[in-house]
Amino acid sequence: MISLAGRDILHGWGKFVLTALGLGLLIGVTLTMAGVYRGMVDDAKRLLDASGADLWVVQQDTQGPYAESSSLRDDVVHAVQGLAGVARASNVTYLTMQVRGARGDVRAMVVGFEADRAAMPGAPPFLVAGRQITRSHYEAVADLRTGFALGERIRVRRHEYTVVGLTQRMVSSGGDPMVFIPLADAQEAQFLKDNDAIRNERARTTANPTLNRPGVPGLLEAVLAAQSANRNVNAVLVRAASGADAEALAATIRRWKHHEAFTRAQMEQILVAKLIATSARQIGMFLVILAVVSAAIVAFIIYTMTLSKLREIAVLKLIGTRNRTIAAMILQQALGLGLIGFAVGKVAATVWAPGFPKYVLLEPGDAWRGLAAVLVICALASTLAIRVALKVDPAAAIGG
Amino acid sequence: MTEPAIRIEHLRKRYGHGETAVDALKDVNMRVEPGEVVGLIGPSGSGKSTLLKCLGAVIEPSGGRMTLGGRVIYDGDQGGWRIDDLRALRRDSIGFIFQAPYLIPFLDTTDNVALLPMLAGRPNREARARALELLGALDVAHRARAQPSELSGGEQQRVSIARALANNPPVILADEPTAPLDSERALAVVRILEQMAQRQRTAIIVVTHDEKIIPTFKRLYQIRDGRTVEEQQAVAA
Repeated sequence: MISLAGRDILHGWGKFVLTALGLGLLIGVTLTMAGVYRGMVDDAKRLLDASGADLWVVQQDTQGPYAESSSLRDDVVHAVQGLAGVARASNVTYLTMQVRGARGDVRAMVVGFEADRAAMPGAPPFLVAGRQITRSHYEAVADLRTGFALGERIRVRRHEYTVVGLTQRMVSSGGDPMVFIPLADAQEAQFLKDNDAIRNERARTTANPTLNRPGVPGLLEAVLAAQSANRNVNAVLVRAASGADAEALAATIRRWKHHEAFTRAQMEQILVAKLIATSARQIGMFLVILAVVSAAIVAFIIYTMTLSKLREIAVLKLIGTRNRTIAAMILQQALGLGLIGFAVGKVAATVWAPGFPKYVLLEPGDAWRGLAAVLVICALASTLAIRVALKVDPAAAIGG
Repeated sequence: MTEPAIRIEHLRKRYGHGETAVDALKDVNMRVEPGEVVGLIGPSGSGKSTLLKCLGAVIEPSGGRMTLGGRVIYDGDQGGWRIDDLRALRRDSIGFIFQAPYLIPFLDTTDNVALLPMLAGRPNREARARALELLGALDVAHRARAQPSELSGGEQQRVSIARALANNPPVILADEPTAPLDSERALAVVRILEQMAQRQRTAIIVVTHDEKIIPTFKRLYQIRDGRTVEEQQAVAA
């Protein structure tokens, strides 16, 4: 038996292919949306991987440092380091801000890490060019996505830094590329006031008789020094010793050190289930709408294609064609439309995904699920047309 | 005496119920022998198309009896249709020729004809061989690979005749097959139908208004007010 669906498609292939192309672009957008979500999850996991930590010690009653702001004194690290089961602990700061490069501002997450201590958690885990930071100040390692080049001078607040190394796929949970600088510089940048504000603050303090007592030499200088220095960090990253139980370590820190501590699994839960949950729901809504629009388009196209063939369908039924042959013809056309559309969409998504400013992760599993969804949607969308075709009276082929 | 290809006795068809009911066929009687071509004429609304639809097993009569090749297909006194699979009856035993050719536009000439044997379960190669044989007999074999839109009106009608003959049915119902054709082509179509009827022993009923072809039928049935009247005609050899 010849394929009626195939012959019909070949007969009007131009219209069919153009329709499939339009549908394919819509499917491409759908796959890309799924890829955006996967990219966000992957970015979050990369962020955690890049930190090289097993535990995140943050301010009590917060879910910092990524989901909420967290502030700890920078000497907390020593108390944590002294706990049994801790291999390494280091301070880290995170600050998302505009970093000025040679070609303009770039939104980046500036990470302050203890560059003067080798192989500490929080340091960029690998470089694709250049070297690690070796000086205590004014050197930076940047992610490739910042667009910064080796040797480029970049400006973070009032200070300039030289990019000495480049790393890759180091982004915040929001997708902003990272710039790593020494911890002390980052602390200063995070809390640095402008010169006028510093002068005003000094004048206020000097004028305050409580802090500027004639009988207490050195008090004013100590207060001023405290006001202009920042001894806070956002988190302490902890690498557990081999064989140590991270969960038990976290419980110890919570109980005895009065700080919050999260394990890797808990931090992943915070990032994926809380931080990007709203975005995920947003994308989910888009996916539902796109699925409905795709279904409507397929239903409309197949329905109009069927309406234009009612006379032929009547003739086919009159000469003895089974209803199931006619239904199969319409179903095959809908599935063909979906298959071509999916192929176009997959290619389109693959081509345009790298051009997106944020990472788009097209997973093969999503593609297979997408294909299954497209076929189901096409099959469902064809039911309307099949219903119309099955209602066609073969007597309609005979005049009168 | 051989069994007629078509025998219709006291056939009735009523549309609707109660006061709004319309009797389209009141008492139709016909008999067509194998290899015979008969004309069916009558004014618009006289019931010609209704009769074709009843004979074509697409609408159910309200009473009477229809027999195809000795097989009772409908008997109002026995509860209606006597055939379980009307679709198979249409496919295997009845050929249809329409006013317009109504070829399937996405199938080429050969496959338009071969489709019927294929639907009947014959292998594609065999079905296509049968189609080519018929197209050759109807002088359109040279257009075997052409699409319907590439054929002239006369060629399209010949292909539709080939399609009607494809399963070698004992009966062909032709609904104004010459309406869109000029005199010469209309007469050519009637000649083809007569040749094919004799060659394949097929009984053909031609519903027509066409004054050009009416004189060519040896026997005519005129349908008036839902009733048939048989007329014999003297036809020039």
